Amino acid sequence: MSDPIFEIEHLSLAYPGRRGPPMAPILKDVSFTVERGGALTLVGPSGSGKSSLLRCLNRLEEPTAGTVRFEGRDIQALDPRRLRRGAALVMQTPVVFEGTVRDNLRIRPADVDGDLSEARLGQALADVGLEGELLDRDAATLSGGEKQRVTIARALLGDPRALLLDEPTSALDPPNAALVVETVSRLRETRGLSIVAVTHQPELVRRLGGMLLYLVKGEMQAYERVGDLDVRLQAFLAGERAAGVADAS
Amino acid sequence: MSAGVVDLTLWQLALALLLVAAVAIVSIRQVLGLERDLLLGSIRTIVQLYGVGLILAAVFAAARWYWVVLILVVMTGVATHAAVSRLPKPIPGAYRIAAVSLFVSTGVTLAYVIGVVVQVGPWYEPQYIIPIAGMILGSSMTSAALAGDRLQGELRVRAAEVETRLALGFSGREAVQPLVRSALRAAMIPVVNGMMTVGLVQLPGMMTGQILAGSSPLLAIRYQIVVVFMQAAATALASLFFVRLIAGRYLTPAHQLRRYLL
Repeated sequence: MSDPIFEIEHLSLAYPGRRGPPMAPILKDVSFTVERGGALTLVGPSGSGKSSLLRCLNRLEEPTAGTVRFEGRDIQALDPRRLRRGAALVMQTPVVFEGTVRDNLRIRPADVDGDLSEARLGQALADVGLEGELLDRDAATLSGGEKQRVTIARALLGDPRALLLDEPTSALDPPNAALVVETVSRLRETRGLSIVAVTHQPELVRRLGGMLLYLVKGEMQAYERVGDLDVRLQAFLAGERAAGVADAS
Repeated sequence: MSAGVVDLTLWQLALALLLVAAVAIVSIRQVLGLERDLLLGSIRTIVQLYGVGLILAAVFAAARWYWVVLILVVMTGVATHAAVSRLPKPIPGAYRIAAVSLFVSTGVTLAYVIGVVVQVGPWYEPQYIIPIAGMILGSSMTSAALAGDRLQGELRVRAAEVETRLALGFSGREAVQPLVRSALRAAMIPVVNGMMTVGLVQLPGMMTGQILAGSSPLLAIRYQIVVVFMQAAATALASLFFVRLIAGRYLTPAHQLRRYLL
């Protein structure tokens, strides 16, 4: 009865050098599965390869070894553009394009159609906790938290089956971070979206539930159900929380 | 008509050297520290131009198509090297890309100007094809270098924007298009602006030379108009090919940005 949306087997990644052999490996022999409608959080110290791993899932990064299957198919056999519409990535630093929020929500490749009516755009904003009147605002004038939520809304408008979130709360102050955590967990419950998130936010880990993968220097240190984390991971998350509090103060 | 050009003797050239001596005095008095470079620059000016003059004199006298082609190839090679060396960040395949861009832009523009506009016969008449090719190559090289420099700068600053587009399902080509556009504009704006003031601020070099050599100003400006238009075309073609091909080096067939090249 298991229905995985992502199956990752023995994935390794090394950046190619300018000439000659590849440079230091980023990811080493990583394997995990994400159930459809499930959640996985990637945690670990900075530089441990979490973001790179996320970018392997929608093939912005090309693994040096191993396989990634999305909805049962090797992503090497998929058109990367279709893969990326099915597994939408939201980046750590939100990028908004020139124009209004409406322009930003409507942006998509010319060959892709879909409902972009005012009602749907308004609903997308509501889904991420933003007001409909924001549509006419110049996107450049939004706050960091608003930009982040607009980029999530923009990703959702492509009707993805999975959402890949790269530290969606790291640029936000605690109230905004809480809003994004709330938004993302609600989306998982109401839309059945599968979520893979890199995060330093213990609240997000807890609210999402599902599995947790702990990476250090590109290697899997632990892969466990969030409900029963061992002492070490709880300590790590507590440390992250302390660091978060220190950052905020 | 030939009003006759005043011959320049070596003594007269030596007198011109006094102008550089004036610069040297300024440099010494103001402690600019430019004397060494000035000396080297003066020597290079004399040696390089004499070298080119002797080669051109030989080619003009021989008037053989293969000598002309050889000179054009050497000129393209030097321009290719110059365009590539002005890229702020080296990338694999840059030489081939620059050579193709300069060859195509110069070839097309040159063929049109020599064959259709001026209608030189025979086509390899060195008096026409070499200076015209030189001017076209000069514009192509400058604009390709400018466009490449701008594209690389844009890619570094706007990599996240490109990847955001890729993540939204755009093709690589679509994702870099706004950056390509801005690089092309950067390369072409100087040329278009130059067209606005040409002749008003200073007389273009070629036209000046033609007038000095005894041509009527009315004929000289006709040539100059052709030159301005052909330089505009060469600029557009060279920067278009160069930027498109360079941008392509930063993308993979799987619509990925090669971040390690940034």
